[in-house]
Amino acid sequence: MTTNGTDPAPTAAAAPHPGGTAYHPEHTPRLEWAKLAPEVYRAMARLDAAARKGLDPVLLELVKIRASQLNHCAFCLDMHTKDALAAGESAERIIQLSAWEESRHFYTPKELAALELTEAVTVLTEGFVPDGVYENAAKHFEEQELAQLIAAITVINAWNRFGVACRAVPGHYRPGQHA
Amino acid sequence: MSVRTTHLDAEVRAAMPALGAAAKKGLGDPALAEPVQIRASQLNQCAYCLDMHLPIARGQDVPERRLDLLSAWEEAGDAYTERERAALALTEALTVPTGGTGPAASGGRFVPDDVYRAAAEHFDGIRLAHLIALITAVNGWNRLMVTRRIPPGSTEW
Repeated sequence: MTTNGTDPAPTAAAAPHPGGTAYHPEHTPRLEWAKLAPEVYRAMARLDAAARKGLDPVLLELVKIRASQLNHCAFCLDMHTKDALAAGESAERIIQLSAWEESRHFYTPKELAALELTEAVTVLTEGFVPDGVYENAAKHFEEQELAQLIAAITVINAWNRFGVACRAVPGHYRPGQHA
Repeated sequence: MSVRTTHLDAEVRAAMPALGAAAKKGLGDPALAEPVQIRASQLNQCAYCLDMHLPIARGQDVPERRLDLLSAWEEAGDAYTERERAALALTEALTVPTGGTGPAASGGRFVPDDVYRAAAEHFDGIRLAHLIALITAVNGWNRLMVTRRIPPGSTEW
């Protein structure tokens, strides 16, 4: 969650603005939570490692990106879009993700079921996880894999909360940094 | 209404309580931790977590009135201290970051600066980091229990 101390770049943007004008200045994080709560950070890392076991990494990145979009976590979007691209994911599938319901032919039925479940579990305050959404997920994932998917959605929701609350700064992540 | 699944990886089962325990220890305020966890569970409509945390709060002598008024704390006058109000506002903002049509007046897209500032006035950096962790942890439990439809009071989850 910390920025790279050896690279005090004035902006996190990868390339100069195409129009040659200056970007808005980068903000600083509100709180360095991982330094202030190291035991919490260790528990989160442990939880993350446990939840990803047995899940297809391609599917997992799509789930993490979609949850991060819904929770508006800039830091997590920076990390997971970069990780997905580095792992060979297509730009098109990442770009279409926030409108996946209207671009279903970019995704497999299993990925679509996972995305639908991701949305229901992420927007929990709108009222439970509908039976149809759960049943469709259960059709595509056997019970143990489904439990892992539910855990993984829960864990990215947790990272999103730390990122948003502490206003973690996007742009400095390099793929594989936390691998 | 029956349980959907009781499957959950053993290591996830172990890491979740570790997260909650670390958060509670660093916050160091059990009487505040319960109302925070109850309010998040109300917003996420988690019957299992409400059923679990309300008796714990009563056992810790959290005044009954403070539990009764929790879902309307913003209008509850002097029932809560300014510190509790700051923690509850942060709880709501962090429980509803999606910007949906949820009931939380202070929620909805990001954590507003005034909500964060009020919390930072009442909690130092270490306590604030752990309060954020506690809100995050209960949001995690809410998701695991609601999604798998674990009935309140169930010993198998």
